[in-house]
Amino acid sequence: MKPLRIALTKGRLEKDTIGLLESAGFDCTAVREKGRKLILPIKGTNIEVVLAKAADVITYVENGVCDLGVVGKDTIMENGRSFYEILDLGFGKCRFALAGKEGTDFFSGYKAITIATKYPNVTRSFFEGKGMDIRIIKIEGSVELAPLLGLSDAIVDIVETGSTLKENGLVIIEDNVAPISARLIANTASLKLRKAEIEELADKMEKERKKSL
Amino acid sequence: MKDYSIITPEGTKDLLFEECMANRTVSTTLGKVFAQRGFHEVLTPGIEFYDLFAEEKSGIPMEYMFKMSDSKGRLMVVRPDSTLPIARMAATRLMHEKHPLRLYYNQRVYRYNPGLTGRSNEVMQTGIELIGAKGLRADLEAITTAIEALSKCVPDYRIELGNAEFFRIMAKSLPVNDDLREEIRMLIESKNYSALNSLLDTLEQTQAVSVIRRLPRLFGGIEVLDEACKLCDDEAALDRLAYTREIYNALSKLGLGDRLMIDLGLVQRNDYYSDIVFSGYVSGSGEPVLIGGRYDKLLDNFDAPAPAIGFGINVDALASVMLNRGNVPQKPKPSVLVHSEPGFEIEAIKYTNALSEAKVFAENSVFETLEEAMAYAREKGIRKLTIVGEEIKTMNTGE
Repeated sequence: MKPLRIALTKGRLEKDTIGLLESAGFDCTAVREKGRKLILPIKGTNIEVVLAKAADVITYVENGVCDLGVVGKDTIMENGRSFYEILDLGFGKCRFALAGKEGTDFFSGYKAITIATKYPNVTRSFFEGKGMDIRIIKIEGSVELAPLLGLSDAIVDIVETGSTLKENGLVIIEDNVAPISARLIANTASLKLRKAEIEELADKMEKERKKSL
Repeated sequence: MKDYSIITPEGTKDLLFEECMANRTVSTTLGKVFAQRGFHEVLTPGIEFYDLFAEEKSGIPMEYMFKMSDSKGRLMVVRPDSTLPIARMAATRLMHEKHPLRLYYNQRVYRYNPGLTGRSNEVMQTGIELIGAKGLRADLEAITTAIEALSKCVPDYRIELGNAEFFRIMAKSLPVNDDLREEIRMLIESKNYSALNSLLDTLEQTQAVSVIRRLPRLFGGIEVLDEACKLCDDEAALDRLAYTREIYNALSKLGLGDRLMIDLGLVQRNDYYSDIVFSGYVSGSGEPVLIGGRYDKLLDNFDAPAPAIGFGINVDALASVMLNRGNVPQKPKPSVLVHSEPGFEIEAIKYTNALSEAKVFAENSVFETLEEAMAYAREKGIRKLTIVGEEIKTMNTGE
């Protein structure tokens, strides 16, 4: 039988997921001692963990080379296409926020507004909802720099505590753009073809998650 | 200007030898199934007026279509779907034909996919449309044709039944506006349990809300229908569930076992589906290889109302699964190369044809010299070389 492959977003979501899996009784030693390996077995099961960058998790799951994936809602909103989103894992919590320089009135005036962001699709649909026409500049690294350097009027980015913004003299203009947390996603065909295995794993994860609440 | 002449456009590719054969094998196998069951092949134009596929009718977003204009500036699209043109055909040129119409097609459809995800913008699709027939018999005819088609290609397929009308009835009784209803549909389609729950929490907790809440999880065996029946007491909805059960029970006589499944959360974007819907899955393909359902309202668009049911199969996806499993014939190799001495060119061609008629796979050599012909035969693994001249000599090539 082909192993059930689960792709994890490298970094914090990977650690949180491994923690969750371990408390659900899975032996994740191979993942903890991974070295440079990217495909790692979970001992005593038919499950394989694959480590990938956030957007790639979606690509692997969508194409069916991985059956499941753990990825942030932010990545789903930005790249979301066709797969099943079956569980809110509850960790990796943060939110999308619109932030600008302190002391400026963002919504006043008639000047065309420029927004810097790592999430152009999220930004576009957010302002579409407001009926606002804006110019988007895609930034790969620290988005906070853009308004400080005068490249943009504001930014749309994920915010956890807001301390980075504060230290750089930025304030949140609106922070109900969308709440974010890690999600368990499944390939559409896999969920149908391997229902029992996937549901068993998802149920175990959900039980553990509820315990930790 | 940059020269793009040596690359194929994003989302397209050349199909060579094995891949092309796999594709053709699937197409012909399925075509044979359809023809044997009394369906007749049709082809529709590759380019059509945009109006035929306007989003309200097709459910295909405008940005997914390849568009251009004709010489009068009218908006045209490269065919993104085969069902609408065939519905048009039924409503116009076939309007006086005795119903039901049993049609099948095997042609490419074109849609833009978000870039760089490895998906094709050009997909070979084959399928049937059974137009002008409704009820259990028509539905079983279409679904068993789908099952037979898949089983001719792979043994481990799964067929899943759903009911678009059941969802529509439930959704209609929700206390929400159309935009929210569409959002709910999308959340069910993507089985997004958590977002669906938080959205439904904001509504008045009616029975429809509790059914919709369970909907994404209502997939599996026949027990799914039992659960759905317990959850709801809307008569029309129960009626649709009972009908789905009737289809399921009838199909289970085929001995499909757990290859037959139910998913009440199967609510496709194609809003033209009106009752029973079904999908086919094959392990090795990350997306459904077959999608179909009943579309009784679609022909209303052409002022020629008629009930209809049909399905489409993604030939490329099925071919690539079969290719990965090594289930397709190898590129055929000629067993004889026929080379002509100068002045005997036509004789050699005649001889090659005679061999072919005798079911020997022979290739006529187009080389100037015998040495070149021999080298070619060895390179290609052709065992025999026949020289046509004053006399006919055959030698082994040593392959």
